[in-house]
Amino acid sequence: MQSSSLVKQDAIVVKHAKYSPVREFWRAFKKQKAALVASIFIVLLIVIAFVGPYIVPYDPFEPDYNAILQTPSAKHLAGTDEYGRDIFSRLIVGSKISLTVSFSAVFLGLILGTILGLISGYFGGWIDKIIMRTCDVLFSFPDLLLAIAIVAILGPGINNVIIAVMVFSIPSFARLVRGATLNAKENVYVEAAKSMGASHVRIMYKHIFPETISELIIFVTMRVGTAILAASSLSFLGLGASPEMPEWGVMLSSGRDYLGTATHVVLMPGIAIFLTVLAFNLIGDGLRDVLDPKIKNN
Amino acid sequence: MKGLKNFIFLFAMIFVLAACSNDDSTEPVNEPAKESTESSTAGDSNKPTSEKAQELVIAVNENFISMDPHNTGDTNSNSVQAAMMEGLLGFDAEGQIIKVLAEDYTISEDTMTYIFKLKQGVTFHDGEAFNAEAVKTNIERITNDSSLRLYSRGFSLVNGVEILGEYEIKVTLSEPYGPMVTRFAVAKMMSPKIIKESIEDIPKNPVGTGPYKFGKWVQGDYLEIERFDEYWGGGDRVDKVTFKPVPENGSRVAMLKTGEAHAIYPVPAQNQAELSNTKDVKVNSVPSTIARYVSLNTFSKPLDDIRVRQAFNYAVDKDAFLKVVNSGLGVPLDSIIPSKTLYYKQQQVYNQDIEKGKALLAEAGYPDGLEIEIWGNTNSDTMKGMQFIQQQLKQIGVTVIIKSMEEATLSDEIYGAQTPEEAKLKMWYVSWSSYASDVTNATKPLFHSESFPPNSANTAYYNNPETDKMMDEANSISDEARKTELYANLQDTIYKDAPWIFLGVDEILYGVRSNVSGVIVNPTGGLDVANAKIN
Repeated sequence: MQSSSLVKQDAIVVKHAKYSPVREFWRAFKKQKAALVASIFIVLLIVIAFVGPYIVPYDPFEPDYNAILQTPSAKHLAGTDEYGRDIFSRLIVGSKISLTVSFSAVFLGLILGTILGLISGYFGGWIDKIIMRTCDVLFSFPDLLLAIAIVAILGPGINNVIIAVMVFSIPSFARLVRGATLNAKENVYVEAAKSMGASHVRIMYKHIFPETISELIIFVTMRVGTAILAASSLSFLGLGASPEMPEWGVMLSSGRDYLGTATHVVLMPGIAIFLTVLAFNLIGDGLRDVLDPKIKNN
Repeated sequence: MKGLKNFIFLFAMIFVLAACSNDDSTEPVNEPAKESTESSTAGDSNKPTSEKAQELVIAVNENFISMDPHNTGDTNSNSVQAAMMEGLLGFDAEGQIIKVLAEDYTISEDTMTYIFKLKQGVTFHDGEAFNAEAVKTNIERITNDSSLRLYSRGFSLVNGVEILGEYEIKVTLSEPYGPMVTRFAVAKMMSPKIIKESIEDIPKNPVGTGPYKFGKWVQGDYLEIERFDEYWGGGDRVDKVTFKPVPENGSRVAMLKTGEAHAIYPVPAQNQAELSNTKDVKVNSVPSTIARYVSLNTFSKPLDDIRVRQAFNYAVDKDAFLKVVNSGLGVPLDSIIPSKTLYYKQQQVYNQDIEKGKALLAEAGYPDGLEIEIWGNTNSDTMKGMQFIQQQLKQIGVTVIIKSMEEATLSDEIYGAQTPEEAKLKMWYVSWSSYASDVTNATKPLFHSESFPPNSANTAYYNNPETDKMMDEANSISDEARKTELYANLQDTIYKDAPWIFLGVDEILYGVRSNVSGVIVNPTGGLDVANAKIN
């Protein structure tokens, strides 16, 4: 009896010595098979987005009027579009646009939303009310409708799409962070920091913000998928990237006239959008299973 | 207290939001629903099948703008109006002038006096009689209201309408105007009652003498016309025709395939092969008078230089244009007017020559190329065309920036400029169609210095006193030989000056279910359903 309990004790000690949050996270995340595959896909996609322009088999902008609307073949892996441009090359170059737009929109939304959420949750009172009611108003519009309205005001263009997607991301982040803040500010260490005379900014940044990070990571991954979809939708409607750009939504839009005659023109960008959004959502799901304390307790 | 405040706020928000959506959605949603229950009960009743109402559904590519026949510019509205209203004269299937409500007519030598003998026994849909008095009321409506589209198209010249008898009328012009005969074919006659008593109803509910009378119009959804049983021309046709605007090419094609629509116009060129192989569907093609071009603002830099404009023309491969944008249909535009138009004379086409284009551009002071905007609407074919131009001009070092705008915005941007100096337009991807018999309308609005926006459609701001004079003279004489000579000169001069990038002439495609007969499209793009039948 005694010896066995000793061994157990040892084991715990050993484990503590090796503990690192990253390793702990990785150990749990490895078990999420779908999320793991999705992450590999996204990592590949990011690599392709960076090196893509240097490895494409054809110039994505170069028309070839003698090879219009060709079905996929060894020469053109994903076929050619209505101007004879290589769809595979366009998808590769387009991945950079889609990723850039969605990441920048989500991160801008994340930064602004987090700041607003922290302020709102930490100070409470009338400032909390103003911020949260404004968020409620924004929430009352469907995401895409709000984005369309914003682009309609600012004018079409890829930068304005980023702004539009950012704006409809802000309230979600703000509300999320506010919730976590309300929780965290009741902690004794926050009380302690206050009594030691720490400034509001310091308390918010050093003591409260870290508490919200795990939830934010999950939400960001989920949100990137939504952002890709929203940006593609806006481009599909002619409000985003200009028509010659190999943006996925634009490709989908210009190919829709050929749905009956050359399906691959629509199918290929459609698959690209589908897989990417799915991958981000799977990663988000996986992360939640690993990071969310509520699920862990169960 | 707090709770109450919140509640009031919430309630107010809901109320505001609900009110916003109300006028848009409820009305159109309710009406078609009512409609469909009515028609289904009619189907269930014990009426013999032969008496079952024949209803023809036609899907078109754009919304209808107005039903006022004296103030309409768009082809689709014109098509619907033509089924309900008739003019003194009209057009045959080839676009040539025929008599409709006029029994006979004479034109004086100087093209200033027109005498019409009217058909007898014709009544309007509201029971009013068609006679000289009615014609006078119509013509005076147009000549007295300068805001009407037809006013600026010839009717501003009318200075006298005289009733010679119950069925005879004389119209005199203040100056000679040859194309007036086409204008009389365009000007549809409406019941004098509606003009005198409820003029504000005309754009929504016109009353004419045609084979169909107005039914119902739900803006943006559908427009219905019903058979007029006392039509003077007799003949047999369906009981009801419903026109549905369906801008999305794919949806329109699907409607024809599934039988939801009996006819669609136009058939997108890329779907021609697909539809031709579909059972129970026929695709017909008509050589059109629709010219496709890019108008170049000749007033502004760098397009004020003829070498730049010619370089642009040399950069474009017309055959590739037809192949890529029109799916291989149509012919290159080899004059300033389509070959179906009267007095057409073929020109030496600017065949693609990249080196020559580059050389001309360098000579004009742009050896490193330049950057320029092209404008167009959001139609998928326009977008394709603009991208094609972008790709072609890239070859001579010109970077084209595509700006596609919603039709109304585009129109504001272009026609909002009051002077050539104000115009921000550089290049416009657009088309123009006019009646084959009406060479004036195919030239003057596009190339005469009086036709600068906002007056008319000379968006190239082409300003040449010499060609102005040719057009003015040709419009005021009836001597055929002289006219032919003037128009030949005009075409030679303007084609060389290259105020446009000349692209192609469309072939119009329309599709009908094989059990439908009598749905015809004429070269101008107008739909004719006067003898439509479902077999």
